[in-house]
Amino acid sequence: MDLKRRDFLKVLGATAAGSLLPGCAGETKKLIPYLLPDEEIVPGVANWYASVCRECEAGCGILVRVMEGRARKVEGNPTHPVNRGKLCARGQASLQGLYNPDRLQGPLQREGARGEGRFKPISWEDGMSRWVSELEKHPGGAVLISRPVPGTLARLFSTFIKEISGRLLFYHPSAERALAAANHRSFGIDLLPEYDLANTTYLLSFGAPFLSDWLSPVHYGFAYGRMRQGRPTVRGRFIQVEPRLSLTAASADRWVPIRPGTEGLLAVGIGQVILQEGRARLAKGDRGRFEKFYSAFSLDQIAAETEVPREGIIRLARGFSEAAAPLAIGGGSAAAQTNGTNTLMAINALNLLVGNLGAPGGIRFLQPVEGFHSAQAHPVSEQALLDLRGFFKKQKRSVLMLYQSNPLYALPSSTRFREVFEDAAFVVSFNSFMDESTALADLILPDHFFLESWGDFLNEGIVPTAGLAQPVVIPRYDTRPVGDLFLSVAKRIGGRMEERLPWIDFRTMLREQWKTFLARRERDKSFEAAWVERLQQGGWWGPEGRLVSVSRRALPDAVEPARFEGDPKEYPFYLSLFESMGLHGGEGANRPWLQELPDPMTSVVWGSWVEINPKTAREYGIQEREIVRVISPYGEIEASVIYFPGNRPDLISIPLGQGHTAYGRYAKGRGVNPLTLLAPMIDPLSGTLATGATRVRIERTGRRGRPVLVDQTGEGTRRHPEGKKGET
Amino acid sequence: MVEYRDQNAPPGGPYRWGMVIDLDRCTGCEACVVACHAENNIRISGEEEASKGRAVNWIRIERYWEGEYPNAQVKFMPVLCQHCGSAPCEPVCPVYASYHTPDGLNAQVYNRCVGVRYCGNNCPYTVRYFNWFEPHWDEPLNEQLNPDVTVRSVGVMEKCTFCVQRIRGAQQTAQKEGRRVKDGEVTPACVQSCPTEALVFGDRNDPNSRVSRLSKDDRGFGLLEELGTEPSITYLKRIK
Repeated sequence: MDLKRRDFLKVLGATAAGSLLPGCAGETKKLIPYLLPDEEIVPGVANWYASVCRECEAGCGILVRVMEGRARKVEGNPTHPVNRGKLCARGQASLQGLYNPDRLQGPLQREGARGEGRFKPISWEDGMSRWVSELEKHPGGAVLISRPVPGTLARLFSTFIKEISGRLLFYHPSAERALAAANHRSFGIDLLPEYDLANTTYLLSFGAPFLSDWLSPVHYGFAYGRMRQGRPTVRGRFIQVEPRLSLTAASADRWVPIRPGTEGLLAVGIGQVILQEGRARLAKGDRGRFEKFYSAFSLDQIAAETEVPREGIIRLARGFSEAAAPLAIGGGSAAAQTNGTNTLMAINALNLLVGNLGAPGGIRFLQPVEGFHSAQAHPVSEQALLDLRGFFKKQKRSVLMLYQSNPLYALPSSTRFREVFEDAAFVVSFNSFMDESTALADLILPDHFFLESWGDFLNEGIVPTAGLAQPVVIPRYDTRPVGDLFLSVAKRIGGRMEERLPWIDFRTMLREQWKTFLARRERDKSFEAAWVERLQQGGWWGPEGRLVSVSRRALPDAVEPARFEGDPKEYPFYLSLFESMGLHGGEGANRPWLQELPDPMTSVVWGSWVEINPKTAREYGIQEREIVRVISPYGEIEASVIYFPGNRPDLISIPLGQGHTAYGRYAKGRGVNPLTLLAPMIDPLSGTLATGATRVRIERTGRRGRPVLVDQTGEGTRRHPEGKKGET
Repeated sequence: MVEYRDQNAPPGGPYRWGMVIDLDRCTGCEACVVACHAENNIRISGEEEASKGRAVNWIRIERYWEGEYPNAQVKFMPVLCQHCGSAPCEPVCPVYASYHTPDGLNAQVYNRCVGVRYCGNNCPYTVRYFNWFEPHWDEPLNEQLNPDVTVRSVGVMEKCTFCVQRIRGAQQTAQKEGRRVKDGEVTPACVQSCPTEALVFGDRNDPNSRVSRLSKDDRGFGLLEELGTEPSITYLKRIK
């Protein structure tokens, strides 16, 4: 790590636009990776570089248009099997992360008390020394919370952390841990499945927001288009079951507004009808077991609990079981309860009942790319993070490291996760922005933005795919790739650590991983030729993956009611928090394009709002746009009301993503973070936070808010009945 | 009428660019909206200006709420300039800033525009946007700007161009090779990003183009077509 700023600038000048720079000076002589030699870079003529989008956890393939050394536009990579040339709003806006005015521009060291927010620039040399000395001072006390980075970086992190006997937690709020837990229990498989939406004829979705933020939204969006209009004679039907009419439900043929927390019960009711009407396509050995399970429930009771009428349940069961290619999926609001895992298992059981595992239009578990060394990054649940509290209390001398992770924002204050920061002896952040967690760090060693970095990404669930990411522009600031930092520390520590991580920089490590991998795939080519080809293509993907056989066909352990925090008399409303289209869980809040992206359902921009069913609002005498106070046993927030006809009358819904106390000029101090309302309720089977398990009440404030709606019709969410316009 | 003589006229007659939007595929995800902002240097308005109704979205998602709980439903409709064959915005422009190109685009010449906003008033689709203030990007956000597209200054009306910079690029390439632009060779940014393939772009003068074939669908209609604007965009009804 002896690249000085001066050398940095020299290299910058010498290599001209479009070249790239690894973090270590020793390597600069061997710069070759750009596919076009410099003389071919013509002003006004664009070069395109393939890479992998890291704006969410889907890992779509991208092509970046670069002119005069600046990234101008990001497009989907047409050959990439995940997104097939398509890209979502967030992927498009990644450029505003790269060119964000609030990016951290170099290493910083805390001044004053922790959390005071005062930092002063330090040199990389000093920063690295401090980090290493803290690691050495606290043997066995290192904890790295990283966003899931399936690929070579995961291997680097896990090897490093293992060697210093630390802990490594891959965490992301949208990692769908409940789904992973349910699939493990239902099918005995620890992989995310591929749902073959494109060939489905009847899609029954329990809350899964697959058109906005679930698993791989562009992939499923593409499949959805084909399901509806991609087949000459068949148009797939689509039913969405959830308490709030979400963006996904808006596209459904029918929306079933179920009582929150009873989704699993409805799935059981549907299963019971299918069995009773003799439409189940079960394996022989399973029939007795299934009949015994389903006969224990009364359909009338289910109808009463779920508030879906008996005839409605029968209709759903017939529609589902009579379809040529039915598919049931679950997630989002259905998984956000304390019984989330069992609910998802009950939904899985519906798929078992119609026997669609491995069938076209059904669920398929595909073998991921083989030949990479232990490069998986299994995400952990919120519970695993909260368990750190005890660990840090005991250790009292631990080093907390954060990589592209902002747990202080993502976890409700009621979980007291802040204690982990308070108890940590030293906090290091590698994040690119001054987010809530980084603001509490003692040392900030900012990573390159993903468009400036080398990397790879192993996609799970879809066609076996290993995306290959390359820097598309020269790193803009005095940042360094996190992989290089860890490798250079490995060198300083020496011994076994150096033996296991001998690479001079992350690019070399990545190349070596790919060398082994490609040696088995493309035997007839030299590595250099194959490598350049993979860079041009954006990775490696094979033909259809091998199906993983299902070893278990389990029913839910129990179908118990969801637990809720808050007395229904005092707190009469259910609460539903949903990821907003542009901001998702809050990561998008510092991109002005996404702040200004109108919410598709309400057209609100640049702020937070509270959605209430108009009838309920009128009962409380609440005007539209009036500021209302939402109170839970754990906190309260204030925001403007938007009448929302797609809410159950007993439901309050609030978008996630705003209310940052840091994270740059576009995000900080804007709107409210509804996570502050949440009780620390956990789904015990998966350990995920049950974001739907807190009850709330509302109070009028009498003040009028100023939510910004950009609806051209000026009608907001008010209904448009035939002939009459905008009557409320 | 003066005959327009295009020396670069493509073999086999002019193009007529058009679009088909399948509402049965559109999910309202707004990928098109951000793609358009990125491609066309659309300014960031900020909360204050947006609250005055000055946010610019060349393509926007309109929503139509119908019914009451529990039968509430919402339908989305992407709305952009319809590139009308008989465009109400064109004859009202005193300086010919709003004009019709030979290949069917409803174009706006920014350096002719004097900002009287007659065109915006006369557009039934409200897809024309006026620059009420000088556009501004906090540095270094401006480094993303597309060099192929003008940044419009204060006092100028702007609108969707069907990504004319891409169309012209493809036309020039085809011209050099002595052929017509192939179907699917050029796509505006919104069409390119659309995950569900709800948006399709192409040449309506080519009977075999996807646009020509899809626009014959029974579900097809033109937005406010009863006004006689002859829109170039055919919407396909959502099935519900």
